[in-house]
Amino acid sequence: MSEQSVTDFRNRARAWLAENAPRRGAGDDESATRADLAAQKEFQAKLYDAGFAGLTWPREYGGQGLTNAEQIAFGQEARRYALPVGVFFIGLGMPGPTILELGTEEQKKRYLPKMLRGEEIWCQLFSEPAAGSDVASLTTTAVRDGDEWVLDGQKVWTSGAQYSDYGAVLARTDPTVPKHNGITMFIVDMHAPGVTVRPLKVATGATPFNEVFFDQVRLPAGSVIGEVNDGWRAAVVMLRNERVNIGTMGAPRTSPLSYHSLSSLAAKQGNGADPGLSRKLAELYVRERSVSLFGQLLREEAMSGRDPGPRGSVAKLAGAELGTYASLVAADVLGPAVAASDSEEVREVLNAALSMPGSSVAGGTNEIQRNIIGERVLGLPKDPGVDRSTPFNQLRVGTMRKN
Amino acid sequence: MALILSGDEEQFRDSVRRVVVERSPLSKLRELMSSGQPYDADVWKQLSELGLPGLVIPEEHGGAEAGYSVLSVALGELGAGLVASPLLAGTLAAGALLRLGDEAAQARLLPGIASGELIATLASGGTGTARADGDTLTGEISPVLNAAQARVLLVPAVDGPAEDGPAEDGPAEDGRATVLFEVDAAAPGVTITPLPALDHSRSLARVTLDGAPGRRLDGDAAAALGFATDLANLALASEQLGAMAACLLMTAEYAKIRIAFGRPIGSFQGVKHRLAELWTTWELAQAALRDAARAADERPADFPRAALVARLAVSASYVDAAVATVQLHGGIGFTWEHDAHVYQKNAMSQHALFGGTDEQLDRLTALLGARG
Repeated sequence: MSEQSVTDFRNRARAWLAENAPRRGAGDDESATRADLAAQKEFQAKLYDAGFAGLTWPREYGGQGLTNAEQIAFGQEARRYALPVGVFFIGLGMPGPTILELGTEEQKKRYLPKMLRGEEIWCQLFSEPAAGSDVASLTTTAVRDGDEWVLDGQKVWTSGAQYSDYGAVLARTDPTVPKHNGITMFIVDMHAPGVTVRPLKVATGATPFNEVFFDQVRLPAGSVIGEVNDGWRAAVVMLRNERVNIGTMGAPRTSPLSYHSLSSLAAKQGNGADPGLSRKLAELYVRERSVSLFGQLLREEAMSGRDPGPRGSVAKLAGAELGTYASLVAADVLGPAVAASDSEEVREVLNAALSMPGSSVAGGTNEIQRNIIGERVLGLPKDPGVDRSTPFNQLRVGTMRKN
Repeated sequence: MALILSGDEEQFRDSVRRVVVERSPLSKLRELMSSGQPYDADVWKQLSELGLPGLVIPEEHGGAEAGYSVLSVALGELGAGLVASPLLAGTLAAGALLRLGDEAAQARLLPGIASGELIATLASGGTGTARADGDTLTGEISPVLNAAQARVLLVPAVDGPAEDGPAEDGPAEDGRATVLFEVDAAAPGVTITPLPALDHSRSLARVTLDGAPGRRLDGDAAAALGFATDLANLALASEQLGAMAACLLMTAEYAKIRIAFGRPIGSFQGVKHRLAELWTTWELAQAALRDAARAADERPADFPRAALVARLAVSASYVDAAVATVQLHGGIGFTWEHDAHVYQKNAMSQHALFGGTDEQLDRLTALLGARG
């Protein structure tokens, strides 16, 4: 890919965005934009028709067949805009690339173009009440019935399930082998009979996630992504994409927990000159800046052809820890207002602080990321757990109380 | 503005690494520890032949004019191998001279510094100040890098005799300017007392001036000293990052082969997570360092802030990593024979030189406030 063609592409993207995309504003809030599904579908279709969707995906499945260089150029150009495409983030970031890598020709032709054009929204169904970090201990089952499968069980923490058309779901298809070897990934029609979606209220009082129940849901032939009982491999592919997504998002300057927001708040409250507090704020700046520069370094490496691989976990862990630190600094800035305040601004900061598990737990907890960094970046040996060799139906899973 | 290294930078890094591995392994530091030599003259000659002392010095003064990013890469390798040398001292002296802009002084001193033959140092980075009464200097500054080997000392001094005001008030008192003086280390009135250094790879001394003659240098000394401080942040952060990586990789290797309770200790999360955490900190600081080095070359107005971010991102973390290196090695890590303590002493010493954490954070706050 020549530099000139990337520059041409960048110019084209810049002009198109200036013409068509809404500018980023202070009041941007993902949940507000999500409410307007029709507008998001319309905007994604416009992106697609203008040639800016699926930049690195092959042309035969609706993509543009370009390189990471164009992808990065587009991301840089789009940073100043608030593209109303949040509902497609999961599908295009996770199930999409996984189907691209492991799906059948029929699946790619049937699902990818519609996903890219925003006609169908996707979600990802991995976590269960008894299988979070240890997602391979999942107990949702799929039982073969002729050419079809019958799906039963419960998923949780599913973003976007309430408006999704399809989902990528992991289910146990063989409980007599060790846990990683008896899982299959399926495509499930979220409108099929037997699928129930319920909103899940989290610690902040908001309902950004769902619980999904499957009761005798029939999966037609051709629903398997990859091979039967090889779903763990598909899950690893998908989780790797998720981490890169979460880790490189970065906190915008307008986030209530950014250095910029918190130092302005401190100045407004009159405690900005306190030396102890200003040092904590400066330390927050150092961490925020380092995380953002590391994201930039990873993107540059990707552009030069080096796969970020497990270092996506470094970005994810660092981003989550930055959020945790920022929450502590925020509490110092707010002082007693943490306990009670009728200020909308204070509530926003507290809300952001209480939302932190959204990055420190979701997509693999910090503890799981540390395992991955230790094992796959530093090359340390794995924990020799019994769970890797014991047949799943003889394994203890979930939360067990002694009685 | 790319953060990744260019092909040339990678190549240069590899040649410095080769010299470090072949000519200055850690056993060399052990030799210096027993012989009392501040650094190995042959190693310094090798590094000079690679052009290290002149990397940021313009070609007209005999330097390679390769830039600060290349310097940073080289210092990372020297830091990883705890190579004792007067490179940092000379680099800071050269940086101050370049920023000061006294052309006669540049022509007089930079070629010698660039070739590695003239050992020069900037009497700054510790505590104490000097005062100038005309061209005569009095005061005490300590500790000063490689002062005991230096032929030339660059001494910042408050202009004006001491009896005009209480010396304790510091350099800004009466609005009197700071001036940079060139002092011959062998001149009468100059006493240099080598100090027992915590870090065996650093030679440090107390400089006492008692009516010592100095040559007054032209230019904005405050700006020159400010730049030297930023450069010290970049240079120390480069060395610290290199050394921190060496600690963590050494510890990770050990954690793979040391068996306890029937399995390698690196398989235990108590060990694994500590290393993963420190490695994450290292990765972030590495990105911040690249940015600071690029800023020095390409965005000078941004350099003070970027250098502070890099130094703050690594300095305390390296101490943490060095302490963890001792801890995770267990008993063997506490022995004299093991290299863990050599790194720990280096980490503590590096962290203490050229501004502690609070001072750096306060500088950053001031810079960010000014930027708005």
